[in-house]
Amino acid sequence: MLRIAVLCLGLASLTAQATDRWAFEAKTAVTGSPVSGVYPHLDGAGRKHVAVAENSVAAVWEDNRSRTPQVYVALKANDREQFSKAMQVSDGSEAYEPAIVSLPKNRFVLAWEQDGAVHARVMNEDGPGAPVKLGSSTSSHVSLASFGERVFAAWREQQDRRWFVKVAALRVPGARKLSVESVTPVEAAGLETRVLFPSIAVNEAGLSVAWEDRRAGHTRLLISHSPDQARSFGDPQHLNEFLSNRNQYDQGNGVTRVALASFAQDEILAAWMDKRRGGLGYGIFAALGSDGGAIFGPNEKVHGEEGDQQPHYNPAVAGNPNGDFVVAWDDFRRGDSDIWLSAYNEDEEWSQDFSPPVASGGGEQSHPAIALDNQGRLHLLWMERGDMDSPGRLWYSRGIPR
Amino acid sequence: MPRFSFIRASYILLCLLTLSPGALLAAPPEGYRFLPLTAAAEQASAANKPMLLYFGRYGCSTCRKMHAEVFSDTAVNKQYNTEFVLAYVDTESGNRIRLANGETTTEMQFATRSRILGTPTFIYFSPEQKPLFKKAGFQSIEQMARYGDFVAQGHYRTMSLQDYLASL
Repeated sequence: MLRIAVLCLGLASLTAQATDRWAFEAKTAVTGSPVSGVYPHLDGAGRKHVAVAENSVAAVWEDNRSRTPQVYVALKANDREQFSKAMQVSDGSEAYEPAIVSLPKNRFVLAWEQDGAVHARVMNEDGPGAPVKLGSSTSSHVSLASFGERVFAAWREQQDRRWFVKVAALRVPGARKLSVESVTPVEAAGLETRVLFPSIAVNEAGLSVAWEDRRAGHTRLLISHSPDQARSFGDPQHLNEFLSNRNQYDQGNGVTRVALASFAQDEILAAWMDKRRGGLGYGIFAALGSDGGAIFGPNEKVHGEEGDQQPHYNPAVAGNPNGDFVVAWDDFRRGDSDIWLSAYNEDEEWSQDFSPPVASGGGEQSHPAIALDNQGRLHLLWMERGDMDSPGRLWYSRGIPR
Repeated sequence: MPRFSFIRASYILLCLLTLSPGALLAAPPEGYRFLPLTAAAEQASAANKPMLLYFGRYGCSTCRKMHAEVFSDTAVNKQYNTEFVLAYVDTESGNRIRLANGETTTEMQFATRSRILGTPTFIYFSPEQKPLFKKAGFQSIEQMARYGDFVAQGHYRTMSLQDYLASL
């Protein structure tokens, strides 16, 4: 008991030190009070569910309020305290796993899977433009990235029993008009084995797309770089360092759900769930890439020692042009799930884990999505449930740099 | 520590209704009639048979070892294919599961909320759809046979698994 008490005091102290990074404002409801039978989800590829434009922040999610899963968006203008009423984005029988990015002039681009095909549309404060179908009827797991006026979407697609990661360059010539400029497979020949949950990031040095790949007989994270705005892609490279040959059956440790974000002028942050710790479950690992993701450094463990005996889930990443970057995830080290954050400290090491007070405590706080604006403010969206099986709601809070 | 609870496992079995049509199995052992979870639960209920729920992962080395050294055993194959309905969940897949309460989620999120730490993890259910016990990690031929006997022969009605194993 004494040992546990000492440990708890130590954890409290560490947390107090680390929360100095951002001061989080009071949380704001994105969806209303939990409704029986209504389950919001933030499960999109790359976890890009929140985006920040000049005058507003937007959140996108899926829920079943209309009895079938559909995709919704809500905006909060900077001069308003509340989010707008949820607006349905999808218009098919079922829709899942959306993503959102911002563009200049207060525009957002949204993408989602609808009835088995990937769609996108642009919107501003006046409403959405017409939806555009990006992929075939067997496409899913879409993710988005933007840089200036450029927007790119990555998704997985199955054609003739072969699996592809495809990347579209999108044009948004007006306030609410979106068109597809090009669609390019990362690997033209495709694969007999599945690819899952690609994530994409772009900056002035190029574009990178990473995904879960099963061609090796187990899952590895591969990443491919495009120097020419998704017109061509380099050969896929390994993103995760895998531990293998521990026995004759071992080809590598499990990895899943990679997320990418651009930071500084030409760097890329990747973070994912990684089972290299053996029986402890997933850890959160990361790698930093330069030249737009053409070259990545070694894998780095993100979460600190204080949470090292627990599994960690649902990593999200964010960066900004000033060079700030941060990783968010959830874990249940305190019993219930809470949101946790880590960023580089002054020694360029991952900081102690810190849990924003607004996104921790009673109930299950999980599935974070984050965005960093140019002022270093951290926009945090997450899901709260009384327990893992109960109806949920979405919350938003903004962290102000101290 | 993450825990297995009968409440949570009851949720696993009782709440599931249907898997999306596109759901495919990732890597259960060959020669076994593993089904998507919902189909298995429905079949177990209809046939009044016990169910084995196998949480696996594509490329999981311990799963491969069990496939090669345990599930390859003829007696294990016969026992489990005959006496159990078999369900498989890929803990990293995006295959969708539709729950009775109206929620649609993925196999991965389902495994996460079920607090499945590692693979393989096996959960045994009685014909009455009551979760009986969980076993994680490598299980030998002998262990699988004894677990199977404990459930299929109804010993769980009169004693704990621990007492049953001690009595052998």
